Amino acid sequence: MMKRIVVGMGLAALAAAQPQPGAEGRQQLTMHFRDPSMPRKLVVEGGTGSLTIRGYQGQDAIIEYTGREISGANGRGRGRRNEPPAGMHRIGESRGLDITEEDNTVRVNSQGIFGGTARDMVIQVPAQTSVNVKTMFGGSMTIENISGDIEAENFNGQVTITNASGSVVAHSMNGKILVSLDRVAPDKSMSFSTFNGDIDVTLPADTKARFKMRTDFGDIFTDFDVKMEANAAPVVEESKDKNGKTRRRVRVDGTQSGTINGGGPEMQFTTFNGRILIHKK
Amino acid sequence: MSRVFSYVTVSTLVNTRDNVVMAEVGAGQVARLAVLFERHHRALFRYFVSMNGNREVAEDLVQEVFFRMLRYRTSYDPAQSFTAWMYQIARNAGVDQVRKRGSAQVVDIDSFVDRRAELVSASPGPEESVSRGQDLALLRRAMDRLPEDKREILVLSRFQGMKHEDIAEVLGCEVGTVKVRVYRAIRALEQIYFALEKEKAS
Amino acid sequence: MNCEQAKTQMLGGTIPGENQGEEFAAHLASCETCRTESSRIGALWQSLDLLPVEEPSGKVRERFYEMLGAYRQGQASVTMPVKQAWPRMIWQVAAAAALLAVGLGIGYGVREDRSRPELVQLREEVASMRQLVALSLMQQQSASDRLRGVSWSYQVEPSDEEVMNQLVTTVNHDPNVNVRLAAVDALRPFTGSPATHLMARNAVIQALPKQTTPIVQVALIDFLAELKERNAAPELRRMVSDPDIDSGVRKRAEWALERMQ
Repeated sequence: MMKRIVVGMGLAALAAAQPQPGAEGRQQLTMHFRDPSMPRKLVVEGGTGSLTIRGYQGQDAIIEYTGREISGANGRGRGRRNEPPAGMHRIGESRGLDITEEDNTVRVNSQGIFGGTARDMVIQVPAQTSVNVKTMFGGSMTIENISGDIEAENFNGQVTITNASGSVVAHSMNGKILVSLDRVAPDKSMSFSTFNGDIDVTLPADTKARFKMRTDFGDIFTDFDVKMEANAAPVVEESKDKNGKTRRRVRVDGTQSGTINGGGPEMQFTTFNGRILIHKK
Repeated sequence: MSRVFSYVTVSTLVNTRDNVVMAEVGAGQVARLAVLFERHHRALFRYFVSMNGNREVAEDLVQEVFFRMLRYRTSYDPAQSFTAWMYQIARNAGVDQVRKRGSAQVVDIDSFVDRRAELVSASPGPEESVSRGQDLALLRRAMDRLPEDKREILVLSRFQGMKHEDIAEVLGCEVGTVKVRVYRAIRALEQIYFALEKEKAS
Repeated sequence: MNCEQAKTQMLGGTIPGENQGEEFAAHLASCETCRTESSRIGALWQSLDLLPVEEPSGKVRERFYEMLGAYRQGQASVTMPVKQAWPRMIWQVAAAAALLAVGLGIGYGVREDRSRPELVQLREEVASMRQLVALSLMQQQSASDRLRGVSWSYQVEPSDEEVMNQLVTTVNHDPNVNVRLAAVDALRPFTGSPATHLMARNAVIQALPKQTTPIVQVALIDFLAELKERNAAPELRRMVSDPDIDSGVRKRAEWALERMQ
């Protein structure tokens, strides 16, 4: 059986969770993961405002958002605006927020425009949840304190991922990719890409990895000691930064490969119009 | 923007159930063992590390388990849960290993635990995550001080997410007994944890 | 239900296939001691999940595949005619070394020795094992695993059609941009192999109109420019004049057309 909360769609919500008005103009919904002992997953699709996903120590997915009044399990208050005027009937409806749970996967779907206004959403999930987010028209996307696998894709806006300790696969079409990993799970491949923007990734100093880096109109900077592979032939320039730490500047064309700490799983960095910065934590 | 990814070709490789794959290994397709290895070697490793606290020994034991699966592959009954069978082999391998090393084996639990405590608190972040880190280090210590049988049942039921029936099969007892033992183990863990907390506070 | 019975049910709700049931709920509602105990040990149970997970080193995998290969070789030797003891031992040492070299992905440096059909067979077996790993990883749920599968594909022979076809499927249909991007790069070795270069080139040409993500479009355009693939010219020209396509991509297509001249 699948649990489902449908907001703004006239269907009865089946979930035990009921929308609760939160602080000013915010709505809050809670969705249980069926089986807390099995791997959890959060999938978010669509969205028109900013999106924040945060790992916390609880068990449920808590979805908070700003938006208009919603109709929940108790069917209350769809608002007068939604009543068909006398003599008319509804033939179309804007799709709202659709939240489902199935096989320990909570899915938040907010395709389309919601009441014509941008909606900002904050979703809290247990830290060890795998997160898969894809937005089309969203603003910025922030993911914090997640130790599961993260897959994030944004269309117009920055992707910020902090305190991650699993794996990250991130893409932005027109924004910066800013990632900081506290821990890197061994044996996980990662990839960071943007069409137009910088890629800024911070990794633990002892990370073992093989970098594959590509930028057309930018440079690659790192304070890791990268052992470049033979075919690369890059130009390496050394300089000292404010704190006296050595910065190495690697100037390259096309795809370049190199290893840190003896090599490990592949990490790919691709930007066509931006710089690549790889920091040591 | 939503594209459906079709898992058409060779999808059986990924989706076939463990017991079917193992039956195929038993029937002579030994290369299929790679599928089971990719699925289970991490969990097995964690089991061994939790049980004996030594990474190198745990890696050897993982290797040993898969070797025994090959050796006894024809004796596997597909009606039996693969996970239960695997942990039966794992337990035997663990016991044999201790016997082989005799009392000469000294596991430096303290340095091991300290290293892990470091690992947890080394990741800086908001204040709450630091305090959480300390609690986790304490929890880790409590786990390591738990008597072996209690630790094992927690590892199997919590870390490996095994069903009670499968655990009963591995341990050779009734399902009801498993429930009681899981309860006793978590209570024992709680007591050790609180004792350690007091120790630290004083 | 009494307190004794309730105790064994306290962790039931968190265990797969276990259900606490109504009797338990009724007992909790009426017994405060059990209620607090249940929430206390429930929290402890949950926090066990936060303990750092120890991960094995990469050596475990290497050793496993080495062992599996050696086992299969041993199996084969049972049915082979009995040989003298010492040459067989040498053969085993050689096989182990070869497996290690191949297993570690050092390359295709193991010399083909037609006088030793076993070695050829062994090589094929190891190759099929790598193919198996690449193929199965490329079909996993997690993008990170699929990326690993794409990396593995560099270790199969560039004449391996099955792996090449899977890469093409990934380029065209994988839901994750980064995986598609990595798969485009991974097709490169196949365009250099006599057995697959025509298929690989065609696949790249046909993939271009299917892509809507700019970064993957550009990766494909660059690839076609590098191959000087004139058959892609009509599609590139169409893209240059398509207003729905990102302006950066259109410029790239223009540049590629110039480069092909």
